[in-house]
Amino acid sequence: MLEKMGKPGVFINCTTFDDDAKSASADNGMPALRRVKISSQDFYKLRGKVETVRPLVESVFDDIIDALTEPLTAEESSPPEGKDGVEDTAGVTVTAESYPAAAEEFNRIFLENRWGDGLPMVPPTPERVKWMLSGTKRKPDDVLGKINPKQGTATIEKIAVNAVMAGAKPEYLPVIIAVIEAITDEEFDDLHVLASAGSFNLLTVVSGPIAEEIGMESGIGFMGHGWRANNTIGRAIRLATLNIGQTWPGKNDMALTGRISPHTFFTFCENADMSPWEPYHASRGFKAGDSCVTVGSIHGESQLQHFYGGMIGTWTAEGILDRMVEDLVRTDRRGYFMWGTKGVGKYVGSGGGAMNHMIILFPELVAELKKIGFDQKGLQDEIYKRTSVPYEELNEHERKSIQTAMELGVIPADRKDVFTAALKPGGKVPVLIAPEDLHFFAAGGAPGCAFSFNYYRIPPYNRSALMTKRITGATLTKAGKLD
Amino acid sequence: MSEQTVKLELLNPRGMVEAMPVSAPNPRIADLTGKRIGLYWNSKPGLDNFYKVFEELLKERYPTATTTWLRGAFLIRDDDADAWLPQIDTFVYGVGD
Repeated sequence: MLEKMGKPGVFINCTTFDDDAKSASADNGMPALRRVKISSQDFYKLRGKVETVRPLVESVFDDIIDALTEPLTAEESSPPEGKDGVEDTAGVTVTAESYPAAAEEFNRIFLENRWGDGLPMVPPTPERVKWMLSGTKRKPDDVLGKINPKQGTATIEKIAVNAVMAGAKPEYLPVIIAVIEAITDEEFDDLHVLASAGSFNLLTVVSGPIAEEIGMESGIGFMGHGWRANNTIGRAIRLATLNIGQTWPGKNDMALTGRISPHTFFTFCENADMSPWEPYHASRGFKAGDSCVTVGSIHGESQLQHFYGGMIGTWTAEGILDRMVEDLVRTDRRGYFMWGTKGVGKYVGSGGGAMNHMIILFPELVAELKKIGFDQKGLQDEIYKRTSVPYEELNEHERKSIQTAMELGVIPADRKDVFTAALKPGGKVPVLIAPEDLHFFAAGGAPGCAFSFNYYRIPPYNRSALMTKRITGATLTKAGKLD
Repeated sequence: MSEQTVKLELLNPRGMVEAMPVSAPNPRIADLTGKRIGLYWNSKPGLDNFYKVFEELLKERYPTATTTWLRGAFLIRDDDADAWLPQIDTFVYGVGD
């Protein structure tokens, strides 16, 4: 940005991120941006102390000075017009002596082009794509939006092509389209979840009657394998984001461990049959009878919180509620220190500040919670209240951080009164910004277990990382037909 | 084509990417003597140590050059950029990756 605003500069990046840095430079319209590479192996090992990193800095010092002072070359001064990263989107023809040989060749070519996910795919022939499109009223050239990092255009047809490759069926297509509508929403941060080194992941929950109609599984094993609807909807999302946004591991998708559940993300549905609550989307302002998808970014490999239940030990609703409260206080209070900063991204409070929690409750637990008087709103309020920390228990740094959070706007204006009242002797300071930052999904079988994913309330690169969209335009199901 | 030959026409799954308007980097500053150099850092650990050594080496070679640490987000915020522009002549950008 500083370079675009007229200042000459140099971008230093580690060798591991060189392709990513090059790609980002092109994506931002400055492919000839001057960069200096430093050895990842050396930097990450030596950066801990001034004295250990010194030889590394000495080894690249002249390169950095040269990048700042040496005149631009003719090539740098006149970079070729905007074709870097722009691919030909023409189709491919494969011929072979047999169908198995043609299918093998198709898979080889697509994977070699980085158009696949590593598992065998279904060939996206025009006939097959037309069949897929029969599941929606939407026109093939309808544009939903752009997918990061390359800002590829998501059309209904491109989504259908990827859905075919994933092995999905036409009746799943409206669900997949709704997910991509969420991902391409102008306020949704798809860049962080699709490209960050932090191995973040995508959670997709389908709620409402369409889930049962298309055969989604929400019983025992609901997040696992064996369910064509769950698995291929998730895989279609994986392939569509990979292909439309144009990511590749180690190139511009820098997830260090990869994204767990890499071929399908985490894709499941609520258990409407067994849950006595209204579907989740009703808490987001949609009609209970609608069918919706909720898409949320979640932490990577280590942020799953287990609240138990199930068949190993005995459980009660009160006991699981206690465990949730204890866990949330323990994990979220650690974040107070970040509240008093602007955050890591464009918007205040981004990448820290406070969390969203996506909590999966098994239907038997939901029934027990209902018996003791909790609906979703009541449970949000109860947990919010019980996870608040007495003012006297906060250290000086935590108090100052929360005060600063109010001044910076990390705590939004409509929550300021709550925190002002809490931040004084006798008060109790919430670890969450608002009760609505707790999101409950009823899923799983009997027995089941309760657990939670979390993620930043405000993501690093945009305003939101949790979005619900209504499923529309379906032609093959009773649900999701609305335009 | 023989009767045994199978032909598959395959649609392309990639999203269309519009060509981005391209701009060249800015002309360089020929000599850093007396210049103000911004050091951009997003707080990831270790880059601060890197910059401390860089400042020392810079001071040895260009005693009158000055440095300003620009501490910001993963991507530079608009308000930060506006505030920093008058303070620097050139800059080093790193995010610790």
